[in-house]
Amino acid sequence: MVNGMSVLKSFVFLLVLLVFVSAVSVFEASALSEDVAALAIEEAEGVMASAYEAVLKAEGAGANVSVLVTRLNDAGDDLAQAHVSYRVGDFEGAARFADLCREIGEGVRVEALGLRDLAVAEAGQRFRWTMTGSIVGVVAIAFLSFLGWNVFKRRYYRRVLGMRPEVVTCEP
Amino acid sequence: MNLEEYRAVFMVSSLALILITAAPTIGMVVSVPRSAERFSELWVLGPNHMAEGYPFNVRVGEEYRVLVGVGNHLGCSAYYTVYVKFRNSSQPLPDTSDSTPSPLPPLYEFQFLVLDGESWEAPLAFEFLEVSRLEDSCLVRRMSVNDVVFSVDSPSTWDSENNGLYYQLFLELWLYDAMSRSFQFHDRFVGIWLNMTG
Repeated sequence: MVNGMSVLKSFVFLLVLLVFVSAVSVFEASALSEDVAALAIEEAEGVMASAYEAVLKAEGAGANVSVLVTRLNDAGDDLAQAHVSYRVGDFEGAARFADLCREIGEGVRVEALGLRDLAVAEAGQRFRWTMTGSIVGVVAIAFLSFLGWNVFKRRYYRRVLGMRPEVVTCEP
Repeated sequence: MNLEEYRAVFMVSSLALILITAAPTIGMVVSVPRSAERFSELWVLGPNHMAEGYPFNVRVGEEYRVLVGVGNHLGCSAYYTVYVKFRNSSQPLPDTSDSTPSPLPPLYEFQFLVLDGESWEAPLAFEFLEVSRLEDSCLVRRMSVNDVVFSVDSPSTWDSENNGLYYQLFLELWLYDAMSRSFQFHDRFVGIWLNMTG
C-alpha cells in the first residue's frame, strides 16, 4: 500500500515536471521566434534603405529607375506585411515576409549600383562628345566668320573702288 | 551701311552662332536651380475613385472601401510609409504645427516608392468585427484592415452635439530621410469620420 502511494506520488511529480518543462519550452520557442522575426525585420529594413539609396544614386546619375522602383515596391509591400504580421503576433509570417523583402531588396540594390555605374559612364561619354562637338563648332564658326568677313570686305572695297564719280549739274 | 556697321553685324551674328553651338556643353556644366515648390500629396478617395461616397454611418460586419493615394513632387524618387491609425474623438491627432505624429500605434501600413511627378494608390478595406454597444457608449473591440484582424479596444461616448458615436480612421504620411536613415513624419495626414450606428 505504502509502495503504491509512493509510485503515485512519483507519477504526479513527474507529470507536474513535464507540464512545467513543456510550458517553459513553448514560452522560450515563442520568445525565440519573436526575436528571430524582429531581427529579420531589422535586416530587411536595412536592405530596403540601402536599395532605396542605391536607386536614388542611379537616378541622380541619369539612369531610368522605373523598373527598379516597381520591384522595390514589391519589397516594400513585403516589409509592410512583415510589420503588420509582427504587430498581430504572427512572428513566423513576419519573418517570412521580411526574408522576401530582403531578397528582392538585395537584388535591386546590386542592379541599381550597376545601373548607376553605367549611367555615370554614359554621361561621361555624352559630355565628352558634346564638348568635342561644341569646340569643333565654335572653331568652325570663328574660322568661317573670319573668312567670310575678309571675302565680304574685299568685295565691298572692290565695289566702292569700282564706282565712277558722276558729274551732276547743279542748276540754280 | 558703312564698313564699320557691317563689321558689327558680322561680329554679333558670329557670337550668337558660337553661343548656340556651345549651349549644350554650357547646359551640362552649369546647373540652373529649380524654383518649383517641393511637396508630397496624401489623399483618400471614396470607393468610386471620387472625393465623395466616403463611408460614414458604419455598422458591424460590413466591409467599407476607400482608396489611399500619395503624389510625389519632391524632385526625386521618394520612399514613403503610410500608417493607418484608428482613434476615438478624444484621442490625439498628429500635430502638423510642430511635425509631431499621433502617439497612437499604427494598425496597418503601406510602404512604397514613388517616382518624381508620379503618384501611388492602393485600396483600403476595413470592417468592424466586434463592437459592444451600451446605451450612450460603445466599444470597438476588433476590426480588420485589408483582411488583417486587429484588437482595438477603443471606447466612444455619445456625442450629443453631433448625435453620434464617432471614431476616425486616419492616415499619416512618413518619408524616408536618407540623412538620418529613418522615416520621419512628413506633416501630412487625412482621415475619415465614422459614426458607429449598429
